[in-house]
Order: sequence, then structure tokens, then C-alpha cells
Amino acid sequence: MYLLITIITKLTYQIIKIFRLGAGYTWPGHLALKLDKNILSNKKLYPSKGFVFISGTNGKTTTSKLISLILEKKGLKVVTNKSGANLLNGVASELILNTTLSGKATSDIGVFEVDEKVLPKLLEIISPRTLVLLNLSRDQLDRYGEIDIIVGAWESAISKLDKPTHLIFDSSQKIFESIPGLFKGGSTGFVVSKDLTEVVSLFGGHNSKNVSAALEVVADFGIDSQEALNILKDFKPAYGRGEIIEYRDTSFQIFLAKNPASINNNLKLLLSNKVSTKNILFVLNDGTPDGRDVSWIYDVNPHLLKEACEGKAIFVSGRRCFDMAVRLMYAGVDVEKENIFEDLNRAIQKVSERDEVLVFPNYSAMLEVRKILTGRKIL
Amino acid sequence: MKLTIGYFYKDLLNLYGDNGNVEILLYRAKKRGFDTELVNISIDTKITTELVKNINMVFMGGGPDSSQKAIYQDLLDDKKDFLKGYIDKGGVGLYVCGSYQLLGKYYKAADGSYLKGLSIFDLYTQHFGNQKKRCIGNTVAKLLINDSLLERTPSTIVGFENHGGRTFLGKEANPFAKIIKGHGNNSQDGTEGVYYKNSIGTYFHGPVLARNPHLADYLIAKSLKLDTIKPLDDSLAYSAHTASLKLKR
Repeated sequence: MYLLITIITKLTYQIIKIFRLGAGYTWPGHLALKLDKNILSNKKLYPSKGFVFISGTNGKTTTSKLISLILEKKGLKVVTNKSGANLLNGVASELILNTTLSGKATSDIGVFEVDEKVLPKLLEIISPRTLVLLNLSRDQLDRYGEIDIIVGAWESAISKLDKPTHLIFDSSQKIFESIPGLFKGGSTGFVVSKDLTEVVSLFGGHNSKNVSAALEVVADFGIDSQEALNILKDFKPAYGRGEIIEYRDTSFQIFLAKNPASINNNLKLLLSNKVSTKNILFVLNDGTPDGRDVSWIYDVNPHLLKEACEGKAIFVSGRRCFDMAVRLMYAGVDVEKENIFEDLNRAIQKVSERDEVLVFPNYSAMLEVRKILTGRKIL
Repeated sequence: MKLTIGYFYKDLLNLYGDNGNVEILLYRAKKRGFDTELVNISIDTKITTELVKNINMVFMGGGPDSSQKAIYQDLLDDKKDFLKGYIDKGGVGLYVCGSYQLLGKYYKAADGSYLKGLSIFDLYTQHFGNQKKRCIGNTVAKLLINDSLLERTPSTIVGFENHGGRTFLGKEANPFAKIIKGHGNNSQDGTEGVYYKNSIGTYFHGPVLARNPHLADYLIAKSLKLDTIKPLDDSLAYSAHTASLKLKR
């Protein structure tokens, strides 16, 4: 049965690819879990050196990418959910797709970003060699209930973990205070070493935490920080994390702005002049992956918003474009009515009359923007 | 003329962008040329006559369970007398989610524990445990406030709700709105929030005043004892309001 499921999963992936139905990183795993809900317990799927899991509100994708790059450069075969499909189905897809015909894992190590809500469930099935906890802040609360509930679920899952797991967490996060005490094994609170980001082509001070976490993880593989930082010189930002896409002679630089912390960080980046622009496009959606409640836009610092938007042409789109425009208005940012577009395609055509634009989309909006700009889906 | 907002526990009760309500009230008052003042009141701010003498609007939001526990004793020991006196005398205020619950008679938690409220509003709240679904989603309701200030404005209010507790109004309490879409107080009787003298308690956030400018102006006018208030250009906010009427629950 196991072998049959792996074959069906791989075929599903091929069909999705051939018919261009998406990137195919969620459906194959979804199907596999439907056929056998315990498929993730099958140790045949496990990479020989085990798993690194990364969870938290912000920085999961970037941190996973950093760790994967370093380990790959050191010759390890890494399986990772680089598309950001971070629910059980995404993990299952990647694991199954990276097996031989006989269903045996071909990779050395699994580096997976894991959705905050899903983490406790996954830890019940798989004990990773390393667990990285980055941070927790308000994000998608309508989906998750309150932060306290997530912390409670994490604490309970972590207290049940096996000893061999190395727990790495941001020791500056007050919310993690009780976690080392609950855990039976070893834990390391990471601290940010100075000027890390000078070495790597990453944007923004907030990324130094992601780099610090990655350095702690790879240290367990005998890779010292100097060597790791050298490798990271080749790092390219993950999808929507400062990447630049050229479209009709316009340069679109995309900064995922999915919650107050990430948008505030990006606004600071803009004010620090590390990034400059004359045009800003905000895209706000309320799909399930974004959180259907958009009230978090009022937790964005209004002074940062006003200062960062000063003297720039502001465009707004997305399914909740009017909510975003109203939020900007109350922060003191003028938005011309003709620059508000319910239809994202029209917004992109309009801003592509300019030389460059900086885009602040939330999650599903980022996927839609990339799809229009590149003509491809990533999820 | 001056709008002086007493903002309670900004640092602890701000779960769903509630601080946006205060930002919106200040913005709209300033746009009309009124003076404004913000008085932040939290655990380390003790109530004195001097501190509260000019307050003509009170705002208090909601928080996670941990924050509500953190403020609870201080609310009872230091803030209760002022709030009760202020509200009973017709002081204008807006209380969202957690603070709306705390101003009622009691909150019965899922584990059966019992938290006494300020008993200003005639209502109680019960949490039936995590097996019973939270009340989450987009909401639309019909305003039940009968006031000439609201005669020419939309009769609806829109928002987003996210609460585990169910609130039940007593005989003395009037709902602030009637649910058209969503759960409201308890997903049973169609009521939403409470309207008592000049105070409004509600589960609607989003924050509630962002897409309901008429409600914001109603509060400002009441605070300043105005019969009419000069309209602002609210085409954007009403576009958001109209779009929200069609959102899926």
C-alpha cells in the first residue's frame, strides 16, 4: 500500500506539472494523507540525518532557505519545502517526491518550515534533530484564536519531545521564557551577533535574527559561522522577500507584508534608504492563508507609514483595497481614488507605466502579483 | 471645543487593531478643527480627579486571556469607581470585546471558574469550552440606536468578530445592533453588543470605527454635545463599508 501511495503521489505531481495546474506542492501530499493518514509516520520517508523544523510568525521561509543553502554547499542532499507549503500536506508532498522507485528517501536531511498551528501535530509524528522557534506575533488570529492558545499548544508538544532534539529559540522573545524549562533535552537561545547582514546580501535588520538562527543550526553539522557566512554571500532572497522582477521594462521589487511586524520592518528598511522608490503598491487580500480579518493593518505604525509614503505615488489593490486605502488615509497618507484598483491586473498595468515600483502585498496577494509578473504559479 | 479621550490599557488590551479606533476618533475630530487630547491610562496610572476631569470619551479594547488577567485586579481596585460613575452619568464610551465582557456582571470561563465583572452593564458572558466553536467571521448588523445624528447615515454597521465567550443580555440591557450576518452576542438571540446611556459595548472590531464612520461621528458628537456634526469626505470609508456588506461570513 505504501509503495502504491508513493507512486500515485508522484503521478499526481506530474499531472499537475504537465497541465500547469500550479506548482504542485500541496495536492500530492493532500492526496497521500487522504489515502493513509499515518503516511508521515513511515520512516522510509525520512532523510538519513533526520529533520530540521523551523516555525514562528515571521522569518520561516528565509531561515529555511539559509539553512538549506549552507547544508547543500557542504554536500548534503536537502529536501525542503521551498515553495512555502508548510502544512502537513506540503511536508508529505516533498518527502514522497524525494524517494526512490522503491519508496526509500533519497535525501540526507529535511529542512522544513512549519506553520505555527501545525507544528504541535507534526511534532507528535516526527521528532526532529533540530527545532527552531523564531518568534510569535499577531498574524491570522481569526484562524488561530489567540496567541496564548498557540503558545499553550507549543509548550505541551515540546514537553513531550524526545531528548535528542536540539531546541534553538530566540532568547529575546519573552513569550518563549517558559519553553527551555519544559523541554527534557538541550536548548540554545540564540542571540544576534553584530553586523551579520554586512556579510550577506539580505535586506533589513530583522533578517539578522534569521541568519543567527541558521548559524546555530548548521553548527550542529560541524560548520563554523565564518564558513557559513561565506556560503551565504551567494544568498538570494526567497519569494517576495525583496526579490526583483522585471516586467514590461518596469522593475517590481516585492516585500511580503503579511502582518504588522513584517510591514513595519519593511517600512523601516525603506526609511533607512537601503531601498529607494518613487512608487508604492499596497495589495491587501483576505484569503484563508492571509487571515480573513484585516484589522491588523491598524497595528502597523501610522508614523512609519506616513513617513515612508511621503512624496511617493501610492497605489492600492487587492480584495480589501478600500480597507487599505482607508487605513492609509487615517495615517495621513493621501491616496488618489484613480489609484485604487479592485482588479490587481489593472493595478499592475497602471504601475508598469512607471520605471520602478515597490510592492507590499500580503501572502496570497504576493502569490498573485508574482503570477502576473512571471506568468507562473509557485503554489 | 475639545475631545479628550481616556484610553484604558492601550499597552495590554489591543488584540485586534483596537487602537485604530482611537487613531480614527482623533483624526476625525482634528479634521473638523476640534482640539484633541489623549489620556493614556494603564496599570501604573492611578486615577485622580485631575487626570480624568476633562475626559469626555472613554475607549477600552480587548486582549488575550493573559492580558485580561493582568489588568483585572487593577481594574477592580483602581478604575472601577471612575468607570461606573462616568458611564452611569452618561459619559460617552466605546468598549470592544474583552472590555465589553468585563463591564458586565461576570465571566464564566471554560474551566468553570468565575470572574466577577464591574456590573455596569446588565449582562453576563459564558465560555462553553474549546469544543464549542469560537464566534469568528465577518459581520453585518442593523443599528438600534435611535438618534437624529444617525438619521441620514447608513443603518448598518460592519465588522469582524472573534470571541470564544457568549454574552447574554439581562432585562435592563438593550442591544446596540441587530445581527444580519454573523454571531453577535451569542449566536442565538440575534443581538449584538449593548447600548446603555451613552456607552456602547460591542464584539465588532476591524477596528469597528474604520468602516463605520457614522458611528465614529456619532460618538464624537455625543462627547461634544453637538446636535449635528459637519460631514467629512468619507467616500473611501463608505466604499469599504459597502464592499463589506457582501463579504462572506
